[in-house]
Amino acid sequence: MAVLNRMDWYDLARSTNWTPKYVAEDELFPPKLSGEFGLPLTAWEEYDEPYKQTYPEYVKVQREKDAGAYSVKAALERSRIFENADPGWKSVMKAHYGAIARGEYAAASAEARMMRFSKAPGMRNMATLGCMDEIRHGQMQLYFPHEHVAKDRQMDWAFKAYDTNEWAMIAARHFFDDIMMTRDAISVSIMLTFSFETGFTNMQFLGLAADAAEAGDHTFANLISSIQTDESRHAQIGGPALKVLIANGQKQEAQKRVDIALWGAWKLFSVLTGPIMDYYTPLEHRKQSFKEFMEEWIVAQFERALTDMGLDLPWYWDIFLKDLSETHHGMHMGSYYWRPTVWWNPSAGITPAERDWLEEKYPGWNDTWGQCWDVIIDNVVDGNMAKAYPETLPYVCNMCQLPILGTPGKGWNVKDYPLEYQGRLYHFGSEVDRWVFEQEPERYAGHLSIVDRFLAGMIQPMNLEGALAYMNIGPGECGDDAHNYAWAEVYRALRAERKAV
Amino acid sequence: MNTAVLGQAYRNNLVGPVMRAGDLAQAVIEAARTDNPGKDIFVDDKRAYIRIHAEQEMILRQATIEEELGRPFRMNDLEVDLSSFAGQIESGDDSIRFYFVKKL
Repeated sequence: MAVLNRMDWYDLARSTNWTPKYVAEDELFPPKLSGEFGLPLTAWEEYDEPYKQTYPEYVKVQREKDAGAYSVKAALERSRIFENADPGWKSVMKAHYGAIARGEYAAASAEARMMRFSKAPGMRNMATLGCMDEIRHGQMQLYFPHEHVAKDRQMDWAFKAYDTNEWAMIAARHFFDDIMMTRDAISVSIMLTFSFETGFTNMQFLGLAADAAEAGDHTFANLISSIQTDESRHAQIGGPALKVLIANGQKQEAQKRVDIALWGAWKLFSVLTGPIMDYYTPLEHRKQSFKEFMEEWIVAQFERALTDMGLDLPWYWDIFLKDLSETHHGMHMGSYYWRPTVWWNPSAGITPAERDWLEEKYPGWNDTWGQCWDVIIDNVVDGNMAKAYPETLPYVCNMCQLPILGTPGKGWNVKDYPLEYQGRLYHFGSEVDRWVFEQEPERYAGHLSIVDRFLAGMIQPMNLEGALAYMNIGPGECGDDAHNYAWAEVYRALRAERKAV
Repeated sequence: MNTAVLGQAYRNNLVGPVMRAGDLAQAVIEAARTDNPGKDIFVDDKRAYIRIHAEQEMILRQATIEEELGRPFRMNDLEVDLSSFAGQIESGDDSIRFYFVKKL
């Protein structure tokens, strides 16, 4: 029997809009869920997905992908990669799985909203496949770390993290809730699939795969790059929606959503991906710096695609470019200093050789961040460990939920961007974070940051013990230096050398 | 690199697939050369992934990849290792096209 080519029947088969007779269009597609852009069904029928796939093709291709990923895992299971990995690399895996795995199920829910409520038939088809993609990602990223739970209690956070009030998880949830759990179908397509998935997921799933391959962790490299093949398809859901909006005079609304999602993603990646690429990954396995990966994936690839769609660079482009060299160094120092409050063991990453690398990649590092690290190093080398741990809380931003920070040294520039809204004073770490809040204050106003909660007496007793209990960080789970301060020996030897001279 | 230089990085016209490393990626590199005569094909191997790019437009044909692989291949099978791509995409039964509308 002759089988028609896909393109001979695809458009017809997925044209599933009809004119409702028993209910009004707004009842079938409630604007709050479908998108309040004032566009009728017919406008959305112009939506043409560029990356087409049918269900039988999907099943065949996905089966092949899974066969590949699971067979690599099975083949390498007995190679003791985890046991022999550098402690810094284990921390990369712990941070990744905790911050990502359960978020994939949330993404499945966001895809399901597009699947049901989008007025564009093509979007509904692609989101059906996208929803199954995200379930696959959730399942795999819980299954793969599971074999390590018995060896290392922190690996349990692959599952546990999203159920806790750990500070980084509050930040991650705040961002993901904003772009995918509390938005209409069209906004999800722009903020989650276009802004986040054609942009930032490449950093975490391909940039990091390049480091993983260098580190010899082929199971992880293979897993995350396989996941990204799904992303690269369903991330294309947003592009045609942008085209429909622009064609119907809604460019400004589309641009605003891209700008909000891009900034939130940047802040989250500055605390998650920046430190693991530039400090945790063993020096000899670093393929590129975080900044170089950002330049490759976000500036050269994502921003170029954005301009081709007819959108503009975000209004905060210059701020963003400047922050690319700075923010994640502060995030790293903060999460290292407050290390008891994370579920992985941060690697300091500041041996003399690593500092040379940082200085080469980020000229001026030694005169800025390096000065602060000198103090931490001296305290550790002197055995003043009490001074190498925090006693107070950092101030965190009411938008990104991450510490408000600046670059140390001569150009010390930390600044609070405050805003009073309905009698409450909010604090933001940047002009952009405050701008995001101002776009829709009622969306964010009720949220309490971890510091707000502390000041409101919700964290008791008001000390580190109380904070750890509030964050659900159990014994054997709280972070400490990945290498048990072995790096201090290098500095001790340098001191001894200097004395001898 | 100062921010002025960094900020210009988006001013490029390179399009094409970013493939997971493997035999399919190697076939795609060869097919890119065959199917885009007269064009320079830029290959950047990052070990876990390989960028295969050309200026402004790149076409890959099912028949060419199948011949390079030496086994049956359907255009849609490209997805197994297509982990990302630069540019816009247009997927067909017998070919796939990466392109930019604008030239910077």
